[in-house]
Amino acid sequence: MPEMRIEATINGRKIARAAKPHQRLLDFLRDDLHLTGAKEGCGAGECGTCSVFIDGVLFKSCMVPVGKAQGKTIETVEALTRTGELSVLQKAFHKAGASQCGYCIPGMVMAATAAIRINPFADREEIKERLGGNICRCTGYQKIFDAVELARDVQNGKLPVTALAEDETADGKYIGANVRRLDAPSKVSGALKYAGDMVMPDMLHLQVLRSPHPHALIESIDTSEAEAMEGVEGVITWADVPGEDGFGVFVHDQPIMARGKVRYVGEAVAAVAAEDAVIARKALSKIKVVYKLLAALFDAEAAMQSGAPVIHDYAPDNVTKHIPIRKGDIARGFAESDLVVEETYSTQPIEHAYLEPEAGLAYVDPDGVVTVISPSQNITHHRHMLAKIIAKPINKVRFIMSPVGGGFGGKEDMIYQGMLALMAMKTRRPVRLVFTREESIISTAKRHPSKTVLRMGLTREGRIKAVSLKMICDGGAYGLSTEGVMRKAAILGAGPYNIPNLQVDTYGIYTNNTPSGAFRSFGALQTQFATESHLDICAEKLGLDPFEIRRINAMRDGAETHTKQQLKSVSYLRVLEAAEKASKWEQGAPVSRGDRRADLTPVGEGVRAACSLGARFEANGKLEAAE
Amino acid sequence: MLFCDEYLMPKTLDEAFAAMESHRGRYKLVAGATDIYPWAREGRAGDVEIPVLIDIAGIPELNDKKIDDKRTRFGAAMPIQRFLDDPQLARALPCMPRCAVWFADDQLRESATIGGNIVNASPAGDGIPPLVAHKAEVELASRSNGRISKRRLPLDLFITGPGRSEMAEGEILTAIECESLPGYGGSFEKVGHRRSLVISLVCLATLVKLDASGKRFEDVRLAIGGIGPVPLRLAEVEKFLLSGPLDEGRLEQAAEMPVHLVQSRTRQEYRREVVRGFVMRGLVNAVRRAGGHAVLTPELEASYA
Repeated sequence: MPEMRIEATINGRKIARAAKPHQRLLDFLRDDLHLTGAKEGCGAGECGTCSVFIDGVLFKSCMVPVGKAQGKTIETVEALTRTGELSVLQKAFHKAGASQCGYCIPGMVMAATAAIRINPFADREEIKERLGGNICRCTGYQKIFDAVELARDVQNGKLPVTALAEDETADGKYIGANVRRLDAPSKVSGALKYAGDMVMPDMLHLQVLRSPHPHALIESIDTSEAEAMEGVEGVITWADVPGEDGFGVFVHDQPIMARGKVRYVGEAVAAVAAEDAVIARKALSKIKVVYKLLAALFDAEAAMQSGAPVIHDYAPDNVTKHIPIRKGDIARGFAESDLVVEETYSTQPIEHAYLEPEAGLAYVDPDGVVTVISPSQNITHHRHMLAKIIAKPINKVRFIMSPVGGGFGGKEDMIYQGMLALMAMKTRRPVRLVFTREESIISTAKRHPSKTVLRMGLTREGRIKAVSLKMICDGGAYGLSTEGVMRKAAILGAGPYNIPNLQVDTYGIYTNNTPSGAFRSFGALQTQFATESHLDICAEKLGLDPFEIRRINAMRDGAETHTKQQLKSVSYLRVLEAAEKASKWEQGAPVSRGDRRADLTPVGEGVRAACSLGARFEANGKLEAAE
Repeated sequence: MLFCDEYLMPKTLDEAFAAMESHRGRYKLVAGATDIYPWAREGRAGDVEIPVLIDIAGIPELNDKKIDDKRTRFGAAMPIQRFLDDPQLARALPCMPRCAVWFADDQLRESATIGGNIVNASPAGDGIPPLVAHKAEVELASRSNGRISKRRLPLDLFITGPGRSEMAEGEILTAIECESLPGYGGSFEKVGHRRSLVISLVCLATLVKLDASGKRFEDVRLAIGGIGPVPLRLAEVEKFLLSGPLDEGRLEQAAEMPVHLVQSRTRQEYRREVVRGFVMRGLVNAVRRAGGHAVLTPELEASYA
C-alpha cells in the first residue's frame, strides 16, 4: 500500500513518519503513535470521544484525514498532563465526580479545555453549548458542567485552589460525604486503557462477516479465497468450534457463529484475522456464503400463532419463556369492582448506546490458558460457558474484565468473546476485535419491545380489587437475558400496590429481530410503564388525585409482595411524598389543568425555555454589536 | 470505511486541475471531509474505495474573503465557524452567525466548509437558506487546454434537487458572492432532535430592514429549508409583509402563508406547525435585532423571541 510522510509536532515532539493515505488523524494517533487518550465512539463525528487540538483549535479527529496534519501542531489529551500533574480542569472533573465509565471523558476534558480557553468567563449555558459536540451516556452532564464551572472559577481566582481538593470527611464517615472516585485520575487524563486501546506484540485484527438476512439456512460457506489472501492469518466459522456450542444468560441457544442457520440481520457468520483491520475487512468480501431464505418473523404476536415459522427447534411455539403469577380470584375481584378499565401499552426497542463500542483482546498464554480481555459485565459466567464451547477445563480459560466504557446491561452477553478465543487458538497469536458503532447497534441486545394489556378493577374509593396483566415481549432471535427479564417484569410489574386478586403473564417470544436482552431496570420498566400510566387513567375516571390513588393502594411496612414475600419495611410512601413535593404538584384529579400551575405562563418558574442556542452572543456582545 | 491509495493536497487551482485531469474517473474532491467519512460507513455506502482523494481546502483562493458594504465574497473552503467568529463576516451577513451556531458543533464547524455544504445539496443543508436570502451566486472554475475559466450561477438555480446540482464533471466550486446586508436584523430558526449535531427538520433564515419610522419593513427576506427538495425563498410572504405596516396581526397572517409549501416525505403535519411558528419567531427575532422593539408587544417577544 502506498504511504505518505507526515511531519508534525505532536504533544511537543517533532515527528516525521509514514502514514497510510486512507488513515484518519485518529487512526494515526491511536494505531501508530499509541496515543489512545482519544477514543473512537462513533467514527462519524457525532460523539466527541476523539477531540484533539490542531494548531490550538479543537477538531474531531475521526473526521480529519491524516494528510491534514501535515506541518501542524497537535495536542491530544495526553498533552494536558505533560508536567506529570493533572490540569486544573482535570482536577475539577475529579473533584466534581464528572467521570463515570470514563470513555467520553478525555474528549469531554478537551472540549471543556477549549471552551474556557476561548471564553474564560463562559457561563453555564455557554459551556453547555460549547460542549454540545460531546456525548456522555452516564452522567446526565450536570456533574460535567459543575466541573467546568469549578475549573473556571478556580482559574479566575473566584475560588481558591483548595476548592479542587477532596472534601474532608467528618469522623472518617463516607456515607453522605463527597468522596472522589479512585479511578477518576486515570480517566480524566486519558491514561486508562480500554480493551480497544490495548495492543500486544504480534497482534492480529479480527473482522466479522455478518448475516444480511433475518432468517435463512446456510447452505455453504466458502472461505478459501479469503484464506489465500496475503496478510490473512485465519478464518473461522461454526465448524471451528471444538466443544458444545451455545451461550446465553439463561438458555444457551446462541452459537458463537451461525450454525447452519441465521436468525437475525447482523448475526456473526464468519470471522477473519489479519495483520491489519483493512486486510481483514477486504477479506470478508471474499467469503462466499450461500443462503436459502426462510420466512421471517418480525412481530411477537405473529410468532405465537400456530403454524408460524419455527425459529429454534427446541421451542416449536417460539416461546422463550412464559412467567405466570396467580393470586386470589380475579373473576371475583372484577365482579366486586365499581370500575373496570382495560388499556394496551407498548414500548419500543432501545439501544444502550454506551460510548465504548464492544472490543476485546484474546491470546493463549504460555501455559495454554485461553485468555479473553473484554468489557464483559459477566466474566465468571462467560468463563464457564466458554470452557464448554472450546472443550477445555475451566482452569485453562481466563476472562479479564477491562474497564467498561458504559454497559447498562448491554455487555452481559458473550456476543463476540467466543470468536476471539477461537481465533487466538487457531492462529496462536493475540487477536483484537473492535466493533464499529454500527456493528454495536446491529448485533447486540436491545431493551425488549413490549405490548401489555392491563385490566384493573377498582372500588369507587380507588382501592384496587383485581388486576390482570399480560405482556408479550419481542425477545428477538436468541434468548440472552429474556428469561430473567420476563421474571422481573412479572414480579415487579403490578407495582408496589396491595392487589388481592392478581393474574400476571409475561411472555418472551422468539422473532427474527435483533435479540433483546438486559437493560437497566430489567423488565420492570415495561410493565410498570403500563401500571403507572393505568393508575393515572383510573384516577382521572374516579376523580382522584394521582398521588392519592397510589397512597390508597401503596404497600406499607409488613406488606406481602405479589409473590408472597414479606416486606419488613417499605419506603414507597416516602418516595411518593418526595416526588409530590419536588414536582410542586397541584393537588386534584387530573381532569383539568389547574390555574396555579407555573407551566401555563410562557415564562416562569417550572417552565423550560424553548430550545434555542446563542448564549455566546449574549455573553460577549461583540457579534450582537456587529449586527 | 473509506479507502484511498493517494491523498493529494494541491496548493493552487492549477495543481488541483492537473491532479483531476491525470486521475480522471478515479478521484473525488474533498474539503472538510465531514460528509465523506459518515457516508463511507455501514448502512450508507459501506466500504468505499476511491483511488485518489484531492483535498482542495488548502488552496488560498478557496480561503479568501473580500467584504465591502455592497458585496461579500468568500472562498468555498471557508470553515463554517468563521461565519460565527469573524466579525467582518458576521457584520455583512447578519443571519449567518445564527445559522453557524446551530450547525453541527463547534469542532465540526472548524472542519466543515461552506462550499461542501452547498455542493452536498442536502434539502436540510443549513448553510444554504441564509445565502439564498442574501441572493448568493456560486463561482465554478474549470480548466480546458490549460486555461482556467469561471462561470457564475445564482445559488438557488445551482441546487436542482436533493443531492443534485448544476456542478459539471471537472468543475470546482471556488467562491460564493452575495449581497452584504449590514444593519439588517437576522435570525436563523432550526429544529431537530437536539441542539448540537442535528439535521434540520425545518430551518428558516430571516433578514429584515426597517424604514426610518421603524414601523414598516424596508426589506424583508425569508428562505426556508427542510420542507421540500430544495431551499426556497418565500417571495409571496415577503411581498405581503412589504405591502403594509408591521403589526402583530399582519405577522400572524404572514405566518399562515407558507404552511402549504410543506412537501417533505415525513412528518408533514408537524412541519406545518413548525413553519407557522418559525415565520413568527424568525420575524420577531429579526425585527428585534433590527432595532424594532417599539413595534413588538412584550407578549409577542415573550412568546417568540
